[in-house]
Amino acid sequence: MATYGLLHSPQMIASITQSTMMRRASILLCSNSISPSPTASRRPLAAPFRRYSASSRAQSISSSSRNYRSALSPLRCSASDSVKPPKMASEERQEPCNRIARIASAIRVIPNFPKPGIMFQDITTLLLDTRAFRDTIDLFVERYRDKEISVVAGVEARGFIFGPPIALAIGAKFVPMRKPNKLPGEVISEEYSLEYGTDKMEMHVGAVQAGERALVIDDLIATGGTLCAAINLLERVGVHVVECACVIELPELKGRERLGDKPLFVLVNAA
Amino acid sequence: MSACRDEDPRIHGIKTKIRVVPNFPKPGIMFQDITTLLLDPKAFKDTIDLFVERYKGKNISVVAGVEARGFIFGPPIALAIGAKFVPLRKPRKLPGQVISEEYILEYGRDCLEMHVGAVEPGERALVVDDLIATGGTLCAAMNLLECVGAEVVECACLIELPELKGRGRLKGKPLYVLVEYQ
Repeated sequence: MATYGLLHSPQMIASITQSTMMRRASILLCSNSISPSPTASRRPLAAPFRRYSASSRAQSISSSSRNYRSALSPLRCSASDSVKPPKMASEERQEPCNRIARIASAIRVIPNFPKPGIMFQDITTLLLDTRAFRDTIDLFVERYRDKEISVVAGVEARGFIFGPPIALAIGAKFVPMRKPNKLPGEVISEEYSLEYGTDKMEMHVGAVQAGERALVIDDLIATGGTLCAAINLLERVGVHVVECACVIELPELKGRERLGDKPLFVLVNAA
Repeated sequence: MSACRDEDPRIHGIKTKIRVVPNFPKPGIMFQDITTLLLDPKAFKDTIDLFVERYKGKNISVVAGVEARGFIFGPPIALAIGAKFVPLRKPRKLPGQVISEEYILEYGRDCLEMHVGAVEPGERALVVDDLIATGGTLCAAMNLLECVGAEVVECACLIELPELKGRGRLKGKPLYVLVEYQ
């Protein structure tokens, strides 16, 4: 039972919805403590979400950044920051929300990629905002340091961007989880379902030891299939997966439920 | 560029953590596997530190990392020196508008892409990858950056395969590596 009790995990939550068409950005943030229950501590999100209507896919980064940064207005924020002392000025109490707000506003939505109807959550614009990128890593590090996590597993390829900085900061090893035939040594494989067909994920034999405590990192959770495959690979060799951590969740796709009893921590919900 | 690098006591530890896998991906290739380095937190940290010490305070605003192993080393360097990280990707992975650069492989061609608008003219950039072999990939990466008016200050890799002469293919740009594999 993972009761090492995370932080004073952020309790809730600003609510801001993303849209590149509107001049107003809204972010949904959901964060839950590390606990066995998959339904722990999710708060209802109050802001109405205005559906984004499709437009040209080719947007330059600079114009969409302007859209995102224009009007952030969290409706409510009572997040606490685990590294701050309990007594905080109200300005400081706002700070974690400001970090999340900035992170969410730095994510670009690309409609109809990779195919019509998909609203692609593009984190590359987040990586261009040095402060937001650093804040992203800090939020994960604050949650996981001193929790005896010895393995950070990152899913190819965008998990390779977020996983290593977290691993370095918490003193854990980084284990890449890769598409088939990329890892050169002996591997174990896990097949998983896609919308059409299947794919395979691989991990090096010997990368992790039975009994180690692990995080699984990816940029986004959609259906949860990829994360499930990663969890399975680790558990098959006796590793305890403590939590899955993503920057973004697409709650409509119910990935959180697919993880079953594995906790999930995300910074931003994209409804 | 090598004298001080060779004397750094951290280099030996890094070198011993790189695993050589023979005959991968095909017979005759001695594959330099950096995943074993990533399993040693101290060696991994030392690797990043060596790059950060070299590039901090040099007014570098862009670290471009080549998919996929450049994604492992580039972001920690970028974060530490206060630069943005720009992923250079295989075709059709980046969702927005891109520019592309084709390059030659041993058999056939491949293509590297970068998002339009990621880099501004005049920015100073590093290109990071785990290894330089023939230099074709790094050359394509440099071309993408220069195409949008950035200045490539240096290419940085953990490993060089000097026999493949990649160093000479970098259009006169400097290359910094931690380990050479002979």
